[in-house]
Amino acid sequence: MKNNPLTWKLFFLIVSTDVLDSISQLFMKKGLVATGIGSVNLSNALDFIWHNASSPMVWLGLLCYAFTFFIWIVVLCQVDLSVALPLGSTSYIMIPIIAIIFLKESISPLRWVGIFFIVAGIHFISKSKQQIPPVVP
Amino acid sequence: MPIKIGLLILFAETWNTAGQIFFKKSTNQLEVPTLRNAKSYLSFLAKALQLPGIWLGLASLTIGIILWLMALTQGELSAVYPIGSFQFILTLIAARIFLNEKIDGMKLAGTICVVLGIILIAKS
Repeated sequence: MKNNPLTWKLFFLIVSTDVLDSISQLFMKKGLVATGIGSVNLSNALDFIWHNASSPMVWLGLLCYAFTFFIWIVVLCQVDLSVALPLGSTSYIMIPIIAIIFLKESISPLRWVGIFFIVAGIHFISKSKQQIPPVVP
Repeated sequence: MPIKIGLLILFAETWNTAGQIFFKKSTNQLEVPTLRNAKSYLSFLAKALQLPGIWLGLASLTIGIILWLMALTQGELSAVYPIGSFQFILTLIAARIFLNEKIDGMKLAGTICVVLGIILIAKS
């Protein structure tokens, strides 16, 4: 395992994946709303894909999404997952805040409690002992 | 939350999980990369893209994102996104079955916590 100390550079990289992920979700949602398809069924699934494939906002979101993956892999090459995962889960806090500000969604106390449980759960999962992966020849 | 959106998220995360398993199975065959400069990143990428499993993983993620967009169309972002954490649970189970990774008490406690959170959000 890497056991590298968490430098400011790595910290910045991890937080930037959260920010990028949040922005990508926002762009996708904004683009999806703009296409005007409110509900997807088997009958209009192809229509749905076609409409969104021609939406620049959705593509912008997908691009940010792909870039998030790239930075995340770079992060994981340098720091243990148990360190990166809890920091990476701040997007679970950022997204509801973004949804309130930019999408005018209202978040009930119950939903906040649910989000809290998920963040706590991710924290627990990351605290479990890492095993050294077997070397496959 | 309507059951249809829940199912869409579940299907999306199933494909995403399949993608992660394909990725991990493939990258297990590679040496641990030493990523120092742009050139080392590119050579790692070049090696990875030669493995068929990486392409299977990318295909799975593509199906996953289409289903995810379908869910996102119909549900609120602040509900759909946290419920997407279902992937943590699916990955844990899939890693146990396909990669022989162990599930210890901490992971189990974390999983129960995540499930509780998902149920609460689905009810909100």
